Amino acid sequence: MSLLNQVRDAVDFIRTKTAIEPEIGLILGSGLGELADEIQNPTVLDYRDIPYFPVSTVPGHAGRLVLGELEGKKVVAMQGRFHYYEGYSMQQVTFPVRVMKMLGVKTLVVTNACGGINRHFKPGDLMLIQDHLNLTGTNPLIGPNEEAFGPRFPDMSEPYSKALQEVAVRSAEAVGVELQKGVYAGISGPSFMTPAELIMLRNLGADALGMSTVPEVIVANHMGMDVLGIACVTDMAIGEELEPLTHEQVMRVARETKPKFIKLVKRILHDME
Amino acid sequence: MTMKEKIRDVLAALESRLSVKPDIALVLGSGLGGLADELEDAIRIPYTELPHFPAATVPGHAGRFVVGRLHSVPVIAMQGRYHYYEGYTLEQVTLPVRVMQALGAETVILTNAAGGVNETFQAGDLMVIRDHINWFHTNPLIGKNEDELGPRFPDMSEVYDRSLRALAKETAQALGISLKEGVYFGLSGPSYETPAEVRMIRKLGGDAVGMSTVPEAIAARHGGMKVLGFSCITNAWSGTGDQPLSHEEVIETSERVKAHFTSLIKAIVKRMGE
Repeated sequence: MSLLNQVRDAVDFIRTKTAIEPEIGLILGSGLGELADEIQNPTVLDYRDIPYFPVSTVPGHAGRLVLGELEGKKVVAMQGRFHYYEGYSMQQVTFPVRVMKMLGVKTLVVTNACGGINRHFKPGDLMLIQDHLNLTGTNPLIGPNEEAFGPRFPDMSEPYSKALQEVAVRSAEAVGVELQKGVYAGISGPSFMTPAELIMLRNLGADALGMSTVPEVIVANHMGMDVLGIACVTDMAIGEELEPLTHEQVMRVARETKPKFIKLVKRILHDME
Repeated sequence: MTMKEKIRDVLAALESRLSVKPDIALVLGSGLGGLADELEDAIRIPYTELPHFPAATVPGHAGRFVVGRLHSVPVIAMQGRYHYYEGYTLEQVTLPVRVMQALGAETVILTNAAGGVNETFQAGDLMVIRDHINWFHTNPLIGKNEDELGPRFPDMSEVYDRSLRALAKETAQALGISLKEGVYFGLSGPSYETPAEVRMIRKLGGDAVGMSTVPEAIAARHGGMKVLGFSCITNAWSGTGDQPLSHEEVIETSERVKAHFTSLIKAIVKRMGE
């Protein structure tokens, strides 16, 4: 079955479960899933019940789609996402983004946990994603193009909406949250990077790195969505000063940063047109 | 089935239809396929009539061999090529180059439409490829090596033949065509580069960026062909993201520089035949 028909089936299924027509999509990264619990009048769908949705395998990634209202906006939130390193194809990783768009979503807010490469960052910082480097080694659009989704060669000159970045900066000021800015390098993982690789990424222009977001944002741009990306710096990844890192440490900082992160994202939703 | 066997199948379907044995192979990139229409005594063979050749999927890529004479030099031209971003394997992408070599072509001229990364480049520039960077994150030679086709570890110290590059520069000068020289940065696409990626490519040493050519050049060198490459700079990337880009613009610019491109390639082929 074509990807287009798979997406349509998923959309049809979701529409039998809720009448809500979401305008904003939220992808909630490591540790931020709790924000979905604040959605009003929620319709909660397990990924496993939605046709063609893959199922999440990472601890801390719940695996539910939540539709409802948040800060007066109609939203659809992914509580848990799919990662390339889990063994999913890039088409599977980005499937929910296509479903969101065909549900009517025009704006995608992507969040993640990342490692800080820029020396001016510190664990617990939030970073506004200005741009990205696709270093995953592949591209979710490889294969025949589906014209109903978007053009064969999507323009990527503004992968993250400048207008939405301005909204985020104003929202951060309004709630008193310091917001860093930078370029997010997306890698496949799942191994963390070596010191030499981290130094290379810094030389290539990266301020932060992580194992998600880039495929989703490429597909969102393919579909003509406006994207806002916010990353939570959970650890510093300076090649010259690298210390052993565990997933537990990442989750701890993500947990500690959560209240600030949630406050900011809610305010941004509130401030969006 | 081995690559050698596939090549044999294609030759069996192809050879009896040809009146000339080509000396030079031409791979014509986006918007540059028109050159093939200038071949004399041309025979056109759609890829779909050949075994192991899948159908092309991109608008602007016709998808056929055109075999004939250019300034009386026997050539085989690819009007349309296979791209990795279309979902083909690199083996499929590079099969046509192998076939053209098996037909007798000792030299391949690879051409493409590319984005300008070097800040001195402008849309409409022509660039002779001095070298490339393989950023496809894969290689067409991965797998069991077929020793009949080439060595396990092919040398890449001079992918783009030095004397052919010199010939290209002399010819361009004689025609009064401005010709840049630079490094082609090959990646999968199909999404265009982000501004941060453009800056990265610049730091890594790329002068032009595109989604083809590198796998074909690797396969051609593996087989021992001489390679000459040209990029038609269809847009100049600033790295600041102030210029959205569409495939239509790329095609438009290729259309504009086509006259220069065509006369340059024709003159080079003529001189190579002398």
